[in-house]
Amino acid sequence: MNKLSGKERYKSGVIPYKQMGYWDADYVPKDTDVIALFRITPQPGVDHEEAAAAVAGESSTATWTVVWTDRLTACELYRAKAYRSELVPNTGPGTKTEAQYFAYIAYDMDLFEPGSIANLTASIIGNVFGFKAVKALRLEDMRIPVAYLKTFQGPATGVIVERERLDKFGRPLLGATTKPKLGLSGRNYGRVVYEALKGGLDFVKDDENINSQPFMHWRDRFLYCMEGVNKAQAETGEVKGHYLNVTAGTMEEMYERAEFAKELGSVIIMIDLVIGYTAIQTMAKWARKNDMILHLHRAGNSTYSRQKNHGMNFRVICKWMRMAGVDHIHAGTVVGKLEGDPLMIRGFYDTLLDTHTPQKLEQGLFFEQDWASLNKVMPVASGGIHAGQMHQLIHYLGEDVVLQFGGGTIGHPMGIQAGAIANRVALETMILARNEGRDYMREGPQILEDAAKWCSPLKAALATWKDITFNYDSTDTADFVPVATPAI
Amino acid sequence: MPPTEPESVQTPTPVTSVDLRKEMAEVGIAEVLDELDRELVGLLPVKTRIREIAALLLIERIRKQMNLNTESLTLHMSFTGNPGTGKTTVALRMANILHRLGFVRRGHVVNVTRDDLVGQYIGHTAPKTKEILKKAMGGVLFIDEAYYLYRPENERDYGQEAIEMLLQVMETQREDLVVILAGYGDRMEKFFQSNPGFRSRVAHHIDFPDYTDDELLSIAEIMLHDMSYKFTDRAREAFVRYLDLRKRQPLFANARSVRNALDRMRLRQANRLFHDLDRVLGVDDVMSLDESDVLASRIFAPSGDGVKKPAGNG
Amino acid sequence: MMTNHGNRITQGQFSFLPDLTDAQITAQIEYALKNNFAVSVEYTDDPHPRNTYWEMFGMPMFDLKDAAGIMMEINNCRKTFPHHYIRVTAFNSVRGVESPAMSYIVNRPKNEPGFMLQRTETRGRQIQYTTRAYVTDKPAGERH
Repeated sequence: MNKLSGKERYKSGVIPYKQMGYWDADYVPKDTDVIALFRITPQPGVDHEEAAAAVAGESSTATWTVVWTDRLTACELYRAKAYRSELVPNTGPGTKTEAQYFAYIAYDMDLFEPGSIANLTASIIGNVFGFKAVKALRLEDMRIPVAYLKTFQGPATGVIVERERLDKFGRPLLGATTKPKLGLSGRNYGRVVYEALKGGLDFVKDDENINSQPFMHWRDRFLYCMEGVNKAQAETGEVKGHYLNVTAGTMEEMYERAEFAKELGSVIIMIDLVIGYTAIQTMAKWARKNDMILHLHRAGNSTYSRQKNHGMNFRVICKWMRMAGVDHIHAGTVVGKLEGDPLMIRGFYDTLLDTHTPQKLEQGLFFEQDWASLNKVMPVASGGIHAGQMHQLIHYLGEDVVLQFGGGTIGHPMGIQAGAIANRVALETMILARNEGRDYMREGPQILEDAAKWCSPLKAALATWKDITFNYDSTDTADFVPVATPAI
Repeated sequence: MPPTEPESVQTPTPVTSVDLRKEMAEVGIAEVLDELDRELVGLLPVKTRIREIAALLLIERIRKQMNLNTESLTLHMSFTGNPGTGKTTVALRMANILHRLGFVRRGHVVNVTRDDLVGQYIGHTAPKTKEILKKAMGGVLFIDEAYYLYRPENERDYGQEAIEMLLQVMETQREDLVVILAGYGDRMEKFFQSNPGFRSRVAHHIDFPDYTDDELLSIAEIMLHDMSYKFTDRAREAFVRYLDLRKRQPLFANARSVRNALDRMRLRQANRLFHDLDRVLGVDDVMSLDESDVLASRIFAPSGDGVKKPAGNG
Repeated sequence: MMTNHGNRITQGQFSFLPDLTDAQITAQIEYALKNNFAVSVEYTDDPHPRNTYWEMFGMPMFDLKDAAGIMMEINNCRKTFPHHYIRVTAFNSVRGVESPAMSYIVNRPKNEPGFMLQRTETRGRQIQYTTRAYVTDKPAGERH
């Protein structure tokens, strides 16, 4: 199919997207282009290049039919260009999976409003996912040009300043989510906070659905939590924090809660992904203005990030959230109860932490990405992890991470403080061993046993959770490794 | 890796027998000694002393493995001799030997003179000396012309402060660094006489003799070879005569003077070739130093006494 | 006396472990040197969690090859301030960090009396909190 021009191109009617100029195999993306990589499963009978062109068209200037008003614009520039489409390894004829294609689409930067995730996403994932020409569609990765990145604030605080404010260096931070998730009164809730922090955690956290329910209104929670935080700080001489979740029904209510948290001297507040991109960006601006660390719970993401053929990859969320300006984001544990292939998770972590990410196909990083000096986001590992996995956690996740041991702290047989002590001792002893140059991955269990000899809370923790692992296959794995890395 | 593991990790069980040849091969000490023989011209007495010290260290290492009583060895040394006799080069090799045998942890050499250690005003010396000591930890501190640290004519000299700090560390942190004091033989002797503290802490004195004429010629040929130059036969003869004259001049600095002379000869050769722009040059032309390049030296000037300042452009 | 685990302030990387031996400290310094961190020795007699600027016992040490030199300074500092808190901080200068990468306590006073949590009741149910180290009632230098 040839590209049409002039009169032919703008004749009323319906012509293929490829012919409308949304496919250009010779196109060389500019440094200032936004590039998106989609995984396309075309409808039977639809040519994959046409499907790619359709996605390019629908996510930029096209509509289903020809419009003459195009000719009042520099439409060549505004048309997104699908410039490459290739079969995804291990799909198509001869495999168990129907054919999928990686389609590379370049967008001129002028298609997007500066500093607006909402606008960027309204284009890239706006209409196109419901498009009939594709059976399934997944946004796998994006390359954001430096020029566009520079229009975003980025993380309000960032890993480096967070550590400086907290005076905690050279080790992962430790946290826990207050449990049970729902039902505790403010007074009882604050007890958990105090015990865990005094025991040795750095942070305690509200859960994503703790907002202001009949059993505990938000002001009560804030007041009692800050009593716990301040008391633990005085008992330990160490900076402590509790992520106060300010998620609410309206922006006005969120501001009110955030202001109250600030008034009470909290170092950190929390929001949920479900509040939406604009609300997140708004809270990031507020956080920067108010010296606040901003924690984001990725509530809801698995509805669209988990299945391999449709939705979007979590690494794209990571990119958008780094641009939007959060300081923390839940990004997987490898060893815990939630979805996560080790290599994929490493890709998320690198996306959040690198100043410059090279292309790493085995981690699902399709593009080299210069982060344009945007602050780094602290990844949070939460869900089904415990002290006995400390060597694996440090090995897979590194030291720039918050390790959240909720059940692993609060469920300790000797109490919450003991649970916190066990986690902190396990962490410090493992960092010490790592720095000494020991093969801590191999010797990990022994290193923990040795510390348990003088630390009875650790001993009890190891005995309680020794054999707890979550061995399920990941659904979201790399397409470019011959054998997917097994979840541990 | 050198033995940098913290002591707490494990103490090896004592051995009862050691295969000396295997042990030598394991630490790679033979290669260092062979390299020393191969690459350094002459210096026979120095090489002999280094071999003796290496033997001592190797046996000491074995004794340690056998858990025999090993007083921590004093390894500080003095290297005496005229300039250009290879003291710095040998110090580098020595550091390598000490490192391979586990007597210093890193094996680097920090090369200093008085100015690096001694300050200009009160309170300046201690931090300077400390800074150098810290940099040298785990390796070898090479103090060239060490006697300048001591200035008896000035009773308020800050050098004394540096000396005291050095002595302290040489005594109490023998496992952390090895100090090599270097300089002219006679001046070092005087220095040791007035600073008995140093004499008692320096276990090995190595004297570096001047090179013989033949050795100096070999050194020159090796240097030229490394730079892809060579003497013509007549140039070589002229150079032998040059050496004979140059050695009688003051401030003769052995290998260093040879190096300087060669550099000047290269300059003359280049000018000689440049003079004749119509010529086509072959590889041999640009490699060869000829007689005229040597004889143009002012040392051959008819006045007979060469130049006033022979250290200059001889 | 402090009532938390270990009865001590828990700032730094290794406050929950038994006091590090010199050999263990040496190993940590070697880790820092291997990563090209500059290492600094700092001391204070004010343990307040937001007391950021401890006194520098000399400047951060750059370009060292071996831990012995830093150990020497730690021991000098311990000799000079035996009853102070002393910490070792390692600085990473690479782009994207340019901040401390390690920090751990290597000396503490024998008794750590801890902190007073002062509550000032303000509007409604709100409380304004002030943390005050008991020892800072005394002038600097006379605290431990």
